[in-house]
Amino acid sequence: MTSRAIVSEFTIEPGTGKAIELLKGQILRVEQVEGGQCADFNCFNLHDYKEYMHCGRTRTVHGFHPTKGAFLWSAPPRERAMLYILEDTVGENDVLFPRCSAYVYEASYGFAVHTNCHDIQAEAQREYGLTPDDVHDSFNLFMCTGVDQDGHAFMTRQTTEPGDYVDLLALMDVLAVPNVCGADVMKTSNFALKPLKLTIFAATGADLAQVPKTPILASQRTPKDFRNAVIKTDRPLRRDPSYKPEFPNTPIMVTELKIALSTDELAMFNAVKRTDIYGEDDGAALRDLVFSWWEERFLQAHAGAPSIESE
Amino acid sequence: MTETVITLRLNQQQLELIDRTIARGVAPDRMSLVRLALREYAAARNSGAGASR
Repeated sequence: MTSRAIVSEFTIEPGTGKAIELLKGQILRVEQVEGGQCADFNCFNLHDYKEYMHCGRTRTVHGFHPTKGAFLWSAPPRERAMLYILEDTVGENDVLFPRCSAYVYEASYGFAVHTNCHDIQAEAQREYGLTPDDVHDSFNLFMCTGVDQDGHAFMTRQTTEPGDYVDLLALMDVLAVPNVCGADVMKTSNFALKPLKLTIFAATGADLAQVPKTPILASQRTPKDFRNAVIKTDRPLRRDPSYKPEFPNTPIMVTELKIALSTDELAMFNAVKRTDIYGEDDGAALRDLVFSWWEERFLQAHAGAPSIESE
Repeated sequence: MTETVITLRLNQQQLELIDRTIARGVAPDRMSLVRLALREYAAARNSGAGASR
């Protein structure tokens, strides 16, 4: 296998982050130096910052702990694969928790000022003209989390070692912004702040060949498809008096379909219909059955997530 | 043979999905598709597969 060429290397020190122009076909390696350090991560389309990584979409497609083989997706209506996790020597990443913020450290710990991922991200992103309001939900590398029985997310200590890394392959030109998580009074980084090493590689043909195909769909819209593609530049919201709603597929119209069931079919239906939800409304129960069947038979991806492999 | 008629109320999007499924050759018409869904849904539950919901 051809070895990767190194494009650049950085070390981000505790309390800092770095905005990096990561071009399509380049790999960002985020690597443990001492071990035990969480990294928060933001990502924007380098040519249109309004397209950014969306943890909600990413967690719907890949679950709460994206690792090797997962994509990092942009927000609707773009919904494109921005990055591909090419390698992950640990497999403990998180898209449940938001970035930690100054509020957290003031409210819970009484700090007037404390290193926090939101402010670190904002400061790193300022190099490219972004504002604190542009920081988005973070992909949290090397962050060990879960959900407890009460439905609350929790974080705990990590077991990463020096040299552990995550490789993120850019599938488009992006501004990639990793930062050293600012949490030293939480378990996230084992109660200490440590540097992280960043290496940018040029991907090899073998790297690129590992990326599964993703669908290219008409619903992946860009500003050329927007009714309003102008980025608002002032802060107050004012009603547009010329606005006329154009919601898609409206009005929603209902058609009645009469379905005749034989005695056997009715018995079958009565045995499986969801009376716990629909009571005596057999029409609603049959509609549920039809679309539940459709999902079971035809839906490839989990919870309506976009499929990974194109047909 | 005794038949019971159930009225399905479907909006245009739901009908579109049904009609596209028919166009794939899964069933010849809407009525047949619903009956096929019923048979397969019930069979999956009788066999214990896919019975989570």
